Amino acid sequence: MIKLRYICLAAAATLIVTLSSCSSTPTAENPSAPVASPPATEAVSNNSHSGHSSKEKININTAILSELDKFEGKLGVPALSNKIQANRPYGSPEDLVTKKVITQEQFDQIKDQVGVQEVVLTGEAKDVDYMSKLGLMKGHLLVARELLDQNQPKQAEPHIGHPVEEIYVDVEDQLNERKVKEFKTTLVSLQDLVKSSPKDSKVKTSFTSSVQAVDGAIAALPEAQRSKPGFTLQVINELLDSANSEYRAAIADGKITAPIEYQDSRGFVFYANELYKGISSQVAQADPEAHKAIDTSFAELIKVWPAAIPPAKAVKTPNDVTKLVKTIEENSQKVVDKSNTQAQR
Amino acid sequence: MPNNFALGNGKPWSRRQLLQLGLAGAGVTGAAGLWQMLNLQSKSTVKVPPLNIEAPDDATNPMKMLRDFDYGTVKQENGRTIREFQLTAGTSIIKLNSAVSYNIWDLNGRIPGPTLRAKQGDRIRVLFLNNAGHSHSLHFHGVHPAEMDGVRPISNGSATIYEFDAEPYGVHLYHCHIEPVTRHIAKGLYGMFIIDPPTPRPPADEIVLVMGGYDVNDDSHNDYYAFNGLPHYYMHHPIGIYKDQLIRLYVLNIIEYDPAVTFHLHANFFDVYRYGMTMTPSEKADVITMGVAERHILEFAFRYPGKYMFHPHQDAIAENGCMGQFEVLAEKNSQNPVKHS
Repeated sequence: MIKLRYICLAAAATLIVTLSSCSSTPTAENPSAPVASPPATEAVSNNSHSGHSSKEKININTAILSELDKFEGKLGVPALSNKIQANRPYGSPEDLVTKKVITQEQFDQIKDQVGVQEVVLTGEAKDVDYMSKLGLMKGHLLVARELLDQNQPKQAEPHIGHPVEEIYVDVEDQLNERKVKEFKTTLVSLQDLVKSSPKDSKVKTSFTSSVQAVDGAIAALPEAQRSKPGFTLQVINELLDSANSEYRAAIADGKITAPIEYQDSRGFVFYANELYKGISSQVAQADPEAHKAIDTSFAELIKVWPAAIPPAKAVKTPNDVTKLVKTIEENSQKVVDKSNTQAQR
Repeated sequence: MPNNFALGNGKPWSRRQLLQLGLAGAGVTGAAGLWQMLNLQSKSTVKVPPLNIEAPDDATNPMKMLRDFDYGTVKQENGRTIREFQLTAGTSIIKLNSAVSYNIWDLNGRIPGPTLRAKQGDRIRVLFLNNAGHSHSLHFHGVHPAEMDGVRPISNGSATIYEFDAEPYGVHLYHCHIEPVTRHIAKGLYGMFIIDPPTPRPPADEIVLVMGGYDVNDDSHNDYYAFNGLPHYYMHHPIGIYKDQLIRLYVLNIIEYDPAVTFHLHANFFDVYRYGMTMTPSEKADVITMGVAERHILEFAFRYPGKYMFHPHQDAIAENGCMGQFEVLAEKNSQNPVKHS
């Protein structure tokens, strides 16, 4: 009985080796099913992954929405940018087709500009990314400040740590070229202080220098750029996107069970709101309807975080918060698109 | 994807099935396909009781996770076989008991993350997407270049690709490596990573057990513990195995905050393959000490039917959820007595 099986196996194995040696069609393995039938979608050879990417390429795994708009514009597919973002991650540019984001024909039109390799961001995208990272730091420090003021150093500590642990490395390389002095040391010493001797009077001055350091890094971007609605709205939406995920991670059964994530989201939303105040009159002029939608949504959003110490019951559900964030994003996109078209003229 | 389909029927393959496989194998590339097929073939002699898997309603589904291996998608590029995995970090809520809900970070909607499985020498490509708010990353244990070490933060909403060769063979793991690493791991960003040896191990009922801890009030002290995500689950839902069937346990200790725990099996002894990096056992034991991130292969078979507990012998940890039991079933036509420990 067993012998017969091995003979069959050997025969089958030989057959496979023979057949595969004269066939180069790649396929997928499916070990959970006894019959290995290759799905058609996998029968594409993805040689591009190891290819060198040219400067023009956009990394579809990391690009922000306004960068992806280039594809949306070229192909004329509404909301394509969001669709590309929603179908991440991509192992290769061709995954845009295998994941049914666009058709093969559409892909052929843009394939020279699509990449999945880490690309060095340039131009506005690079600045938006830089500013967003610093904006997250500002949000963390904002809520840390509130907690320190309320004599809650233990709760403040993670928000002082996060800028270094999660974000600093992403801006570190750019500091030199933007002529900004490193400020990791400043942030780390503040963290050390809050951790080991939170009552020390030095906490206040150390905190001030940390905030100043982040502000200084932000000021490396030209004032003209920072006051441009099309630019700042992109930053705002990056911040709100993170806030949205953090808020979802804070709530269970209508209760705030993870205060750290509640506080993170509070910091990001409040700083985003602050940024919006700086450009709101310009947005109101350029697109009154979009402004109204953004303004109202922000007013609603702010209410979700009544204080730095979370309330017993969540004010809004994560889904409600997502809705508000999406409304701001959609309306911002209109303003960003408008400013892009104007810039091209 | 559960492997139960291949394991479940326990019948030897028919000549017809093998021929079908051979023909379908036209597209399967030689060595990798053959290896997979040998595995399937050998597993078909393994007896596994049918599982009563409840419909998954949240990120925890311990019964399904036991024998669930993710082999990825195999692609050919420039003459190389690439095994591609997709891992997405998200957020979800699990119920630790009837009164306590807890927010976790999940991978592909589950805790622990998928058990990734490859063969030594495969090229591994991991597409990692972070949708979980904070910056996260995936750090794989194994041998690879510095730039693939997964310590760089991947910000919310963006994705990255880790690519390296699967080596050396053994039971490994992957986890988020963003500080505070304790919190990022304890909240769910971890999973097992098995690299199979070039020559497959003997047929066995293969089971994954991951020990984890939950610190629900962020005081760097665990309040609950679990095997495969849910406290006490396998106490109430014993893991069915057959009498005399060789069991191969892949055990990982990823309990943060407690320096070490043991793994103890009742009424039996097991062979220990440290880190799964040998083909011959180093020792026989009924308790083995495991520091954080230590993992081993333990092999045994039960001689007598009945229920047998397993747990860390730090009994407080067991009592707070890291406890389960095997239910050894007497099989009617047991024709392959494998090994008595």
